[in-house]
Amino acid sequence: MRNLLNFFLRYSAWFVFIFYVVLSCWLLFNKNPYQHHVYLTSANSVASGIYDVTSNITSYIGLRDINEDLQRRNAALESEVIMLRQETRRLNQAIMQDSMRTLDSIGRYEFVIATVINNSVIRPYNYITIDKGSADGIGPEMGVMDQNGVVGVTNVVAGHHARIISLLNPNFRLSCKLRGNDAFGSLVWDGISPSEALLEELPKQVKFHKGDTVITSGYSAMFPEGIPVGTVLGSTRGEDDNFHTLRIRLLTDFTTLSTVKVISNRDIVEIKEVETDQPRAASGATPTNQ
Amino acid sequence: MAKEIIKFALMFVALTLCQVVVFNHICLFGVAIPLVFIYFIVKLPVTLGISWVMTLSFLIGLTVDVMSNTQGMNALACTLLAVTRLPVLHLYMPRQDAISNPEPSMRTLGAAIFMKYALTLSAVYCTLFFSIEAFAFFTPMRMLLKIVSSTLLTFIVIMAIDGFTTSRR
Repeated sequence: MRNLLNFFLRYSAWFVFIFYVVLSCWLLFNKNPYQHHVYLTSANSVASGIYDVTSNITSYIGLRDINEDLQRRNAALESEVIMLRQETRRLNQAIMQDSMRTLDSIGRYEFVIATVINNSVIRPYNYITIDKGSADGIGPEMGVMDQNGVVGVTNVVAGHHARIISLLNPNFRLSCKLRGNDAFGSLVWDGISPSEALLEELPKQVKFHKGDTVITSGYSAMFPEGIPVGTVLGSTRGEDDNFHTLRIRLLTDFTTLSTVKVISNRDIVEIKEVETDQPRAASGATPTNQ
Repeated sequence: MAKEIIKFALMFVALTLCQVVVFNHICLFGVAIPLVFIYFIVKLPVTLGISWVMTLSFLIGLTVDVMSNTQGMNALACTLLAVTRLPVLHLYMPRQDAISNPEPSMRTLGAAIFMKYALTLSAVYCTLFFSIEAFAFFTPMRMLLKIVSSTLLTFIVIMAIDGFTTSRR
């Protein structure tokens, strides 16, 4: 017994060392960001409190660029309003002859406006912290966009803060397509530049041109169809001959991110159930043909 | 003794805050990131038990990890750095009993030895950190560039902090 105690005392430093190395390796190789505990991410109260304070101070710095972006977006929306007004006038005239039904699926998305309080672009796995959480109706796996395009997806949600997996994170793959074409591919970051990403697995027969707009496909339920993501810079040589790999310039400027919109989809529970093939417990109208 | 504990506690908080609020957002030429909080590990007294050094290093690494969403990268690198600290010092300074004050500094070790000691620890840390990071994207030339440039930047900032804090006394 005394020998055993002596042994432990003499080699206690080794045990401490092995303990810390194992602990940090366990943290390090727990790669799935959805399993991270809220206390070990920047969404915890101490970290988000500190980032709240610093973001209050530094949020003034990028205002000029953000203002320009908003002006541009505003101009685009204004021209869209004029276009839509003309369209409404035309349709109003047509409605005299024809009765028309509108789609009700457009109303299923809601937006929560949040401010970015911490953001990184230089790490291999980048995350963003925002100042809204479950108390504001945000849940995990909701899409996030800013005035220019897609930003990421929420993953760890605390009461008043949430952490977003940035688009600049290889754990996040986004289903995308080229505007005007229904073939889709998957957008993933390659870790080189915060303004560029790759669109992979796009079928070979798809024709593309430099400058084509890449938009969300709407297949993932986190983002509605048609949110702009980036523009095509060119093709890179892929390993697989049946697919294109395109280099994309991202429309979102991740280095000056300030205000973002979290997209909550009211039908997401329903879509999830359909996708996992489980019968809905609350469903009243189950088919009874036997 | 109590004065020392308070001093290192303040240093822990101040360096962690500086790292996550300021230095984490600096990335010179897209490669050089200053990892300045290791100054805490550099400055821990030589006489402090190795288990304590490892515990404190692990804790500061973990705190920076939590704040910057790096999940164990800094914690692992800091623990390994804590172990290499004394061997590195003995490499440049064979006789430990000659030190009047257990805290490594320009005054106690001499400018040349302290600079070599700090530069080696920065190099060791940057090598560990970017090797761990390379599990995500392995691009050897870029990794080497990151290690060298970050080592230099970290060393320069540490020297600046050291000069700034010791000249007051």
